[in-house]
Amino acid sequence: MIEFLSTLISPFHAKMLAVLLSATQWTVYLSLTAFIGGGLIGLIFTLLRITPINWVRKLAVAYIWTFQSVPLLMLLFLTGLGIPTFYQVNVPPWMAATVSLTLFTSAYMSEVWRGALQSIHVGQWEAGRALGLGFVKNLRYVITPQALKIATPPTVGFMVQVIKGTSLAYIIDFNDLMRWGKKIGNSQIDGAEPFIVFPLVALIYFLLCFPLTLLSRRLEQSLNIDSNKLMLTINKGG
Amino acid sequence: MIDLRFYEIWREQIFVEKLINGIGTSILLMILGGIIGFIFGLALATARGSKIRFLSVPSATFIESVRNTPLIVQLFFVCFGLPMIFEYRWPFFASALLALCLNFSAYYAEIIRAGFDNVEYGQSEAARALGLGKNDILTYIVLPQALAKVYPSLVSQFVFLFLTTGIISEVGVEDLTWAGRYIADRNFRDFEVFIVLTIAYALLSVMFRGVLTATGHLVFPWYKET
Amino acid sequence: METCVNLTDLNKWFGDFQVLDSINLTISTGEKLVICGPSGSGKSTLIRCVNALEPFQSGAVNVCGISVEKNGSNATDIQRRVGMVFQQFNLFPHLSVLKNCTLAPCRVLGLSDNEAESKAMHYLERVRIPEQASKYPADLSGGQQQRVAIARALTMEPELMLFDEPTSALDPEVVTEVLDTMVDLAETGMTMICVTHEMGFAKQVADRVVFMDEGKIIEIATPEKFFSEPTHERTQFFLSRVLG
Repeated sequence: MIEFLSTLISPFHAKMLAVLLSATQWTVYLSLTAFIGGGLIGLIFTLLRITPINWVRKLAVAYIWTFQSVPLLMLLFLTGLGIPTFYQVNVPPWMAATVSLTLFTSAYMSEVWRGALQSIHVGQWEAGRALGLGFVKNLRYVITPQALKIATPPTVGFMVQVIKGTSLAYIIDFNDLMRWGKKIGNSQIDGAEPFIVFPLVALIYFLLCFPLTLLSRRLEQSLNIDSNKLMLTINKGG
Repeated sequence: MIDLRFYEIWREQIFVEKLINGIGTSILLMILGGIIGFIFGLALATARGSKIRFLSVPSATFIESVRNTPLIVQLFFVCFGLPMIFEYRWPFFASALLALCLNFSAYYAEIIRAGFDNVEYGQSEAARALGLGKNDILTYIVLPQALAKVYPSLVSQFVFLFLTTGIISEVGVEDLTWAGRYIADRNFRDFEVFIVLTIAYALLSVMFRGVLTATGHLVFPWYKET
Repeated sequence: METCVNLTDLNKWFGDFQVLDSINLTISTGEKLVICGPSGSGKSTLIRCVNALEPFQSGAVNVCGISVEKNGSNATDIQRRVGMVFQQFNLFPHLSVLKNCTLAPCRVLGLSDNEAESKAMHYLERVRIPEQASKYPADLSGGQQQRVAIARALTMEPELMLFDEPTSALDPEVVTEVLDTMVDLAETGMTMICVTHEMGFAKQVADRVVFMDEGKIIEIATPEKFFSEPTHERTQFFLSRVLG
């Protein structure tokens, strides 16, 4: 591939681009892991957050508040530098980065989903109960499909935040796109000036994030259109 | 076992000094960045909604570029790349402030634009029926109502952005995070230092949220949440 | 009698749907005209074309001597001379009652703050709520808000007042206070066009009543003739449903 790129741009820049793209895969792995792991943990906390048991709910609220008030950078420092120094253990950067981003994601995802659940009109719950559905069946067949629809656009949107969040992991020596971009950009090599390298790095992040932004927007629009259609149908019949 | 040594932080006066200076710098940057970023965001939102393509296309491009790239990349570019292209030298604080203003403005612009779209149509209709021109309608009728409605979102965004600003320590700004790393480099109590920093950031974000929410009540006393 | 408003062959479409169909109507200065008809008949759209809030595709609209441009380019010239009261009041929630009334006179007519305020207070007294001047719209009842809306429109001292179902969004108890205000206004000689379902008001105040359906004017007559001997079938049907 380097040879192919070398025919388009100079061999030096081709090599640089190849290095950056290769490093990008770690950005992607980290993002996906944090998103899926954080999503699952977030789901658990969504349910804990709405449980009627008081102390469980308070614990969930505390967890969510904590990880929404702590800078991601601090989480990375604590897991990547603090714990290794304090407990005299070796924590590989990928582990620290994964844990930090997963916890971070879980708190925000949990709130998104809680919001989606609670935005469903209480009348829907009542309608389900009136039809004789128990709590679990009600949740499964009536509420969850609607909640999923409402929750999907912001969830996809948050994935963008996760990808951007991975850019901080370089600070604990995680060898992703940002780390290599910084290494190359801050080196004093001609042809790798900051005003060439960093826009290039930005472009790669943009190509990862922007499609997700567009997808999230399109999902939001299709959701609204459906609601309008629904209202029109109801009004016509009435 | 757990041998936490927080006193290793306040033991040295210079450590405490650096911490306090760091907090001051972080707060100052957020206040300046927030205000300038807001003004620029307002301009962007107006340009973005304009029918003139010369305004709407560049502003949309700028907003999407900033929102879909990480802050750290923007910081590095503004602080190291721009000075090289245009051959100037600014103090770290100024460059970082510029990057933060640009970053914040893009996020604010989206929020403000949503506010514009959500002002009741009847309001601008009534204003037109009175003979008010487009500029007056925007300034006196739409803008106050749009801002009042999205103010809570603006506050939340501000606090969220605040939590991302620790990274400016990487471009030479001596903020709270920088102070923490300075101390940790010297007393090797990384864990304790970062715990202190975490608490400090959490407390500061609570403080910011409280002050901004109270300010909102002062600026928009007439606003009733529907 | 001087002509205030002249509509000649006015046609308007929303996409493929024709909202106004060959409207011909002349309104004299000082005349009170009531327009009624079923929902979707185009009544609101008609008066919105008169004060250039809506563009139209063909025909001619002449208001206070000014010919309204189809694309709305001279809209503000018309709007500063024509007042409008809306069904949903549309008061500016972030401004006090007084400021609601003085904003346009200051910005559009160039009045000083003092001049505008004394004019506004004069009209607030006319609609009988001068004591609410420093309150905000959210503090007022629906009837009070609508009266403020009337005062706000009057403070611009328009030549013509338009009313778009001014009492339809009000609780029944306060409809009377607003209608009384409109009757007072009628007695001062103001030219008024009212879209309304309040037939009592029409009988009391109107010089002529217009019935519209499906974008066309079906019937125009004096109130006496309109309510006792409507000529068209559709008018009769509408009246039987509205008057019960």
